[in-house]
Amino acid sequence: MTEREDFLNALAEKAGRPRHQLQAHPFKPMNDLPETTLADQTPQALAALAKQNSEAVHVTYQTTTTAALPHALDAFLQAKAATALLLPTSAQFARYQLENWRASVSPKPQYWLPDAGREANLKAASEADAAIGFADFLLAESGTITVATTPGQGRAFHFLPTHYLAIIPASRIVARSRQAATWYDQEIKAGRLTTSNINFITGPSNSGDIEMVLIVGVHGPLDMTYLVVEDQ
Amino acid sequence: MTIKTSNAPFLTRLKESEADPFMQKAVAKAQDAQWDKRTAARAELGHWEQWRDLGEQIRQHVIRYLPDYLEEFADNIEKRGGHVFFAKTDQEASSYIKHIAEEKHVQHVVKSKSMVTTEIDLDKELLKIPGLALLETDLAEFILQEDDWDEPTHIVFPTLHKNRDQVQQIFQKLGYTGDNDPQHLARFARAYLRASFLKADMGITGCNFAIADSGLINLVTNEGNADLVMAIPKTQVVVMGMERLVPSLKEAEVLDNMLARSAVGQKLTSYCSFSSRQVSGESDGPENFYVVIVDNGRSNALGTEFEPVLQCIRCGACLNVCPVYRHIGGHGYGSIYPGPIGAVLSPVLRGYEQFGDLPFASSLCGACTETCPVRIPLHELLIKHRTVMMNKLHTDKSFNNVIMKGIGVATGTPALFRMALTADHVAMAPLTKKAPITVENEFPEGIIRKAPSMAKGWTDVRDLPEMPKHGENFRSWFKKHQKEREVHHD
Repeated sequence: MTEREDFLNALAEKAGRPRHQLQAHPFKPMNDLPETTLADQTPQALAALAKQNSEAVHVTYQTTTTAALPHALDAFLQAKAATALLLPTSAQFARYQLENWRASVSPKPQYWLPDAGREANLKAASEADAAIGFADFLLAESGTITVATTPGQGRAFHFLPTHYLAIIPASRIVARSRQAATWYDQEIKAGRLTTSNINFITGPSNSGDIEMVLIVGVHGPLDMTYLVVEDQ
Repeated sequence: MTIKTSNAPFLTRLKESEADPFMQKAVAKAQDAQWDKRTAARAELGHWEQWRDLGEQIRQHVIRYLPDYLEEFADNIEKRGGHVFFAKTDQEASSYIKHIAEEKHVQHVVKSKSMVTTEIDLDKELLKIPGLALLETDLAEFILQEDDWDEPTHIVFPTLHKNRDQVQQIFQKLGYTGDNDPQHLARFARAYLRASFLKADMGITGCNFAIADSGLINLVTNEGNADLVMAIPKTQVVVMGMERLVPSLKEAEVLDNMLARSAVGQKLTSYCSFSSRQVSGESDGPENFYVVIVDNGRSNALGTEFEPVLQCIRCGACLNVCPVYRHIGGHGYGSIYPGPIGAVLSPVLRGYEQFGDLPFASSLCGACTETCPVRIPLHELLIKHRTVMMNKLHTDKSFNNVIMKGIGVATGTPALFRMALTADHVAMAPLTKKAPITVENEFPEGIIRKAPSMAKGWTDVRDLPEMPKHGENFRSWFKKHQKEREVHHD
């Protein structure tokens, strides 16, 4: 008998319940609160809620349009006095009409490159004092952005740079974590999304470990900016 | 460190806690602050009692079909190219992880906060490897490690007992030259730990929830250290209690919401991550991914009246409402799992010989049961522990029997009961002191500050108000009030 079988059989024996009963008794939630909470809100109300809750977690929340996006990104880089910029490798630059912007932006960006390997990408991320990435969703209830790791936008992309900006289409502002979780669950199970990692990020890193005093900016970025593109 | 954090007798630990006024004030302040934040966060969500029903249902379902969920989860980890090890004991778990470190020639280990790794004494085992450096990266755990592995005092806030001056002194040993401002101290830790992250070749994390149908690990933090531990090293080891399963991403999402609101009064923690072994095309994240599933005494609860303790999601809310924890802090319990949940769980994991005192470290007020987001009947389980100890361990209960029999006779005989109500005020009078109402005294009619004999335990930590005069007690008031109501209705 394998160590696993031995372990599981021992649990079943102690519990006094036979194994392999789950298929006949799958989990069925007793209520639909996760789906129905905030489900009646209009897109406008969700956008207002997203702003309120993002600012409550120390996020700089801004809105713009596709046309004005390059200017908003330049303003962010200027405000942070960025000298080392990290960008993802992503088809979304074309969607947001940012191809010309990224060709001319200053400072000249480093990219998270699918073929560059671990060391080179981690080095670029750790040296970056600003990163601009693309988020999948913005959760109105908590002021949270969600990102799935891709070859062009790795895990550490969101954690090593000092200042971080996420571009979010207004159409992806959803009520709460349930809507995002359901989407990821479906996409992964349908084989449309291949990823090893999904991050729900709610504002900059923080800690209350020293005398319960809130410190904003611990291991992750020191600050976060959400830039919502209203016509996307 | 293992589950037991102190060999000192219970009463000695209590005396030590009593002699630490900073700790007591810090715990009281934290409890009060968390009360406000937790209550507001739950109220804002709405329908909190129905959310608790759902949380309880998820956890009970998982525990009921635990072997099946573990099997499904392990299969999915292996499908993703990861490895799963089932450890019956702490030694099995820590030896296995040490073996991985040796096999991979690991030099630099970074860890994110994990109670289970403390429980299995993993740090000590890994540090036996010559030349291996190991760093806790959660700010609180880092402070404890650099303070010669001081013991944690809270599940969520491990350094609650330390003030900023102490942290400053600890960091000075590492080269810190700044003041005691928490922001400056944290920035120093950030820079110090960043260097360690970048050269780490093994990361070790705990696991808030393990998602059975996808083989993903769900971790929630506020600092972001766990995500760096999962991003940078080539090898990751996840250590989890065997009960930490959820059916799917959706149930993890429900419990993450309830955990954040219950633990720290946030809607979600800053980082809430679902993660597994690196997939093709990705350049960071672990290439070698190991999950160690630990029993270590948890199965003692299965099939027994203590099974509900396995529902716990480690939010620490029960600590934050407990009047006993408020007085004695985490160290008073002598277990890495303090507070009401620790008083129930520690004897299950390690037995009554080591932790038989803890079920008695409770006023049975029920505040823990009331606040638990997954409805663990904590105070009832404490009573069950007492019952088991009294019955199965053949504890001498003759003294209690005599007392309870005496109380039974007195309360069951109207004449005796009336006599006691008349006599109590007179009997207490010589010990009573009268003082005006202040923040320290809510009973201007008189209080007893130092009672003799068995009542001394009560007055050591709280006031004992004088019993009212016969004509002013509840029975007299009720009779009078009833007569007044009858007159009014007539």
